[in-house]
Amino acid sequence: MSRRDEVLSRLRDVPAMPAAAMEAIRVLQDPRADAQAIMKALEHDPGLTANVLRLANSAYFGTPRKVSTVREAAVRLGTKRILRVVVACAAAPVVRRGIKGYDLPPGELWQHSASVAVGTDALAEVLKAALPASAFTAGLLHDVGKILLGTYLEVDAAAIIQLAVSEKIGFDEAERRVLGIDHAEAGAALLESWDLPEDVVQAARWHHRPDDAPGRLITLDLVHAADALSMAEGLGIGRDGLQYRPSKAVVLRLGLTTRVEELTLCRVLVALKELKDMFAAPGGR
Amino acid sequence: MSGLVGAPPAQQTVGISEMLVRSGGEDVLVTYSLGSCVGVAAYDPVARAGGLIHCMLPLSKIDAAKAAAAPAMFVDTGVPALLNALFEYGAERKRLVVKVAGASSLLDEKGLFKIGERNYTVLRKLLWKNNILIAAEDVGGQVARTMYLHMATGRTVIRSQGQERDL
Repeated sequence: MSRRDEVLSRLRDVPAMPAAAMEAIRVLQDPRADAQAIMKALEHDPGLTANVLRLANSAYFGTPRKVSTVREAAVRLGTKRILRVVVACAAAPVVRRGIKGYDLPPGELWQHSASVAVGTDALAEVLKAALPASAFTAGLLHDVGKILLGTYLEVDAAAIIQLAVSEKIGFDEAERRVLGIDHAEAGAALLESWDLPEDVVQAARWHHRPDDAPGRLITLDLVHAADALSMAEGLGIGRDGLQYRPSKAVVLRLGLTTRVEELTLCRVLVALKELKDMFAAPGGR
Repeated sequence: MSGLVGAPPAQQTVGISEMLVRSGGEDVLVTYSLGSCVGVAAYDPVARAGGLIHCMLPLSKIDAAKAAAAPAMFVDTGVPALLNALFEYGAERKRLVVKVAGASSLLDEKGLFKIGERNYTVLRKLLWKNNILIAAEDVGGQVARTMYLHMATGRTVIRSQGQERDL
């Protein structure tokens, strides 16, 4: 079995997100969907509910009065935002764990993932562009492939980074040379096996080489740019460091300038401070 | 029970866009996740006054309101604030030992994300105008760094890619 096949044969080892959360992600994609089903599903998941309420009460979402039920939170925040809260809470346990092989202590990948998710939001705001519904979720989950490679297959990133540095290639390209697959493709396979929306899968799949993606996707462009900014900010950087090559085509398509990049980083930092309760401790039960 | 013999010195974390200044003591100031941001450690061995700052962006004009609320976010407002706080603790310009870390970048030959480079340029210019030399630096490349300043001695340590070294 090739190393690539070995990676792909281990998808089922990674615990999937709670059913309620995956349902929330699907509903988030559909603007006409009714959130009632999510609320119902959540009511049977007390851990997730506790986390949703904690986040809904954080400064980031800025509810003036504390909310104590999911329904109340949904009324205050609106369907779209409450679904984002659910998605964030659902993704947290998946991406919060440490990844030894990539030298990421617990919480680091979570910080990075959250900063990419709020980064897509901040970018769209600064650029005055419409934010596709899938961008937030895609931002949260774009790096899940590192979990599969670094935890379940115990890939040692140290050897891969050595190759990347000596050849002056991106870390993802070095992963492909060593393993026959990179964390982007491994992550996309994982998300696909969880039956998540196509845009989320595609954004994860191509986030390090958007120029090679089969089609144009705004979600992908936003995730790529927010990822570059998040790496610049230094949050949740593992052994792979900043060893990635940004796409000029994405920068041009989005119209990124130094000013846009810096304004976005300001907003991301403020958002992360407001969301700090989410990072404080493993919440829930 | 901090007076116990052999008790490790307390670590004080400096977050992104924050700074800490101390006079004397045994604390170790530390700032994590320096990517394109710049960390500046400044220490006067005679006054035993020292400080550490973690600036995210070069120029405050991008967002004046944020600069007023959090001057340490920007090099051009943060570093002067750091120096002034040190002078208030009795530090003198000519004795200050200033060390710099960070300013990394992606593999970005086309210069699409120049935050690190801009941070470093603005910092150098500012220190030069203030007649302050950089005693040592560990900047650039594609790595993230952690920077420590030991208040007892002024020792400055960089941790990156699983390795530690004195700066």
